[in-house]
Amino acid sequence: MRDAFSRCHPLLNFYYFAVVLGFTMFVQHPVFLALSFVGGTCYAVCLKGWKNTLKMNMLFTFPLLLITALTNPLFNHYGVTPLVYIESSGNWVTLEAFVYGLVLGCVMFIVIGWFSCYNKVMTSDKFVYLFGRVIPSLSLLLSMALRFVPMFAAQMKVIRNGQKCVGMDVSNGKYLKKALYGLNLLSILVTWALENAIETADSMKGRGYGLRGRTAFSIYRFDKRDWCMGSAMLVLTAVFVHGCRAGAVFAQYDPRILLAGFTIQGRNAPVSCSPGLAFACYAAFALFCFLPVILGAVEAISMERSRARAGMEAGVTYRQIYQEIEREGGVPLADEEREGKGGIRIWTS
Amino acid sequence: MDIITIKDLSFSYPDSGKETLSHVDMTIQEGTFNVLCGKSGCGKSTLLRQLKSVLAPHGEKSGEIYYRGAPLSAVGQRVQSQEIGYVLQNPENQIVTDKVWHELAFGLESLGCDSEVIRLRVAEMASYFGIHQWFYRNVSELSGGQKQLLNLASVMSMHPRLLILDEPTSQLDPIAASDFLETVKKINRDIGTTVVLTEHRLQDVIPWADKVFVMDQGRLAVEGPPREIGEKLKAAGSGMFLAMPVPMQVYAAVDSQEACPLTVSEGRQWISGLMKHMPAGSLKVPRPLQDPEEESTGAKKEKKRFQKVRKAAESVKAAVKKKEEKKNLAIQVDEAWFRYEKEGRDVVRDLSLEVKRGEFYALVGGNGTGKSTALSLISRVRSPHRGKILLEGKDIRKYSERELYRGCLGVLPQNPQSMFIKKTAREDLYSIIGGRKEKKSEEYTADMEKARAVEGIVSLTNLEGLLDRHPYDLSGGEQQRLALAKVLLLRPRILLLDEATKGMDAEYKEELGGILKKLQSHGVTILMISHDVEFVAEYADRVGLFFEGNVVACRPARAFFAGNNFYTTAANRMARHYFPDAVTAKEVAGCLQANL
Repeated sequence: MRDAFSRCHPLLNFYYFAVVLGFTMFVQHPVFLALSFVGGTCYAVCLKGWKNTLKMNMLFTFPLLLITALTNPLFNHYGVTPLVYIESSGNWVTLEAFVYGLVLGCVMFIVIGWFSCYNKVMTSDKFVYLFGRVIPSLSLLLSMALRFVPMFAAQMKVIRNGQKCVGMDVSNGKYLKKALYGLNLLSILVTWALENAIETADSMKGRGYGLRGRTAFSIYRFDKRDWCMGSAMLVLTAVFVHGCRAGAVFAQYDPRILLAGFTIQGRNAPVSCSPGLAFACYAAFALFCFLPVILGAVEAISMERSRARAGMEAGVTYRQIYQEIEREGGVPLADEEREGKGGIRIWTS
Repeated sequence: MDIITIKDLSFSYPDSGKETLSHVDMTIQEGTFNVLCGKSGCGKSTLLRQLKSVLAPHGEKSGEIYYRGAPLSAVGQRVQSQEIGYVLQNPENQIVTDKVWHELAFGLESLGCDSEVIRLRVAEMASYFGIHQWFYRNVSELSGGQKQLLNLASVMSMHPRLLILDEPTSQLDPIAASDFLETVKKINRDIGTTVVLTEHRLQDVIPWADKVFVMDQGRLAVEGPPREIGEKLKAAGSGMFLAMPVPMQVYAAVDSQEACPLTVSEGRQWISGLMKHMPAGSLKVPRPLQDPEEESTGAKKEKKRFQKVRKAAESVKAAVKKKEEKKNLAIQVDEAWFRYEKEGRDVVRDLSLEVKRGEFYALVGGNGTGKSTALSLISRVRSPHRGKILLEGKDIRKYSERELYRGCLGVLPQNPQSMFIKKTAREDLYSIIGGRKEKKSEEYTADMEKARAVEGIVSLTNLEGLLDRHPYDLSGGEQQRLALAKVLLLRPRILLLDEATKGMDAEYKEELGGILKKLQSHGVTILMISHDVEFVAEYADRVGLFFEGNVVACRPARAFFAGNNFYTTAANRMARHYFPDAVTAKEVAGCLQANL
């Protein structure tokens, strides 16, 4: 995987997604949502490319957003700002219900976006590693389960092809037969799996499974960059958690819309949060959301620079060597030779 | 120093009544390469399992096994786990975890090594076995050969002194198998690990063995260095030769005072030595090898004149004949193309293939060339996106399910275990014809009583006496025959076989070959794909070479193998400088005998 953040320690990956998803789900302040949205979308684009992100958002999550936004005011009628009166049911469609529906839809939209990143970054082995530390035997269990799923799927395919050729696959026959054949397939799979499991057990025993003092090996190491990233994340989290507690993200949609930092319909939110703290809180969250993208960009730039430098340095070094040799009175070179293959000439002479 | 000493070991499974191992005495020296061979069911695996306490089966045991001087039962679990490595038969089932690196570390985790040690050992093993390229992969993405190599590496990461391998290559294709065995040899040579191996691909291991043990019915029949084994077996007149490498088989059948050849190149020299007093051109070739169509020159001339006259008439007839021939084709594939994904590579490309009625046609070719896919097209599991497939002159798409799979086409899958449903072999056979009840149903349309039909098939496939056992308790070859019996109960006219001889020993192969020949004589058309050149040479009528999705050459079996340099049998490679047409060990032996 080329993404920089997914090469960080799994603990950081998990912490990051837990915090981002948690705050996106439970803080319903539009500024926070907007920041989370932009951060999440940028990261998704970095991970999956423009095409895939746009495709998923337009085909799947955007319609979902619309549905939520439109259905909420049809069923909820709280609020103080009536918009339309529906005669058949005798209810008002209110501005508050409509806005809240929109916010809920957005939350869903953003959370799905973040989850699509989560899936790319938190691969199964990272998950196994993290939760294996909590309960060591669980790590092996998870790992084995993850091994068995594709294996059973592959075996099922083999079995189905075999049964198809004697006309006994689920795709053959009428309803009752179909069910019967399906049960047969399952029975074959289970028998086969159990039989094979004996050999797996032998292989485990043969390699000393069951001895006392089993350890859990992992290929992950908590390196210096992970320490830096981790502390940066903790500091940022601390800042915006403090801001949230002070009320920088206060949001209320029922019965009237009250948002911290905004004056809506002539009312302010009942919070006492200084503008400075609110701004710091937003900035910290924004930085947090963009952390993976920033890390990726930093890595890309430093890589580019080191590549360029590598070429230059080697060139400089060798030019210096040539010059030194020349100065020490190696072989005085004719002008045209110096331009052409001077270097070679020196080595051979 | 002896790493293993077995003294008077006998073993019997509970309730079996007979000894699976009887009075075995054996010593294995440290650092040597040992091969244990014998027919299926002779007790090889049982013996190997006794060498590691956790894997030893339950049963009655007498005698004693010593590991480095101490009784094995007194050697602790931890020491045994670490020092005695064991690789089993099936590559898939031995893998425990989902990632390659985790699998490599599994044994070391069990031993309780710390991360630093594991990191080093895993890295070491991965580079020694060339695993580093797929170190981070999921195990489900690996090929069979890679999986078995991973199993070997994850045992070797514990640094065992003794490596036991129980038929490790029986599920692999020939190239992966010889790679694997090469690695085992390398381990023995480079690291000095003691190796004990059972294997039926003996030509790849016997020449390199320090010592060979031949078992027969639970006893140790013969032991010694490989060259002596040949002579001892010959002196004993044992039937064990069938399992030996081809040069040894030929040696056994011919009177010769020279040392036993082990490899193909030794075999060539041996034959040259035997034949050197024969002047060139005076070689007698036994009858069945001569080309039946070869005629004297006089007759040929006559025929030529005759042909000229008839040429005009014939061209008219040819068209008619061609039509008739087409009618007589069992399988006809016409420019079929197939790929798995829309933008993927064509797995089957421009495949044209014709199999005549009542013919035994074999397709050979490397791994991943699309043979199995082609077979799945012919069995209608998949359908080509271009081209046509005709079965008995009728488009395969126009068959109804029942017409096609009940009476026309029988397909024997590669893994027979994917077919077993019931608890006993007998019930399993009945299950495919709709149970025991004697009523006509869509599953069973023949007039014969079901019991008689089953009886007939059972005697055809030599399954008598096995019918009350659980299908999984049968040996590999017996399982294959049971699956074949199930397919045959559907009375197919065309039989498709996918690698039917995989993992079988020589004796089972002979049995299967006999059954197929019998079927063929009753007019069943057989199409088989196989890696097993020896089997195909012995039994098939025509052979096609499959390469890059189509059949590049198709000839009668003898002509096919006689014409190839690489893709031919060991017997042919050994004797081709004198008898280019002799393809099987029996034929080579026959030729040699005729000239001595």
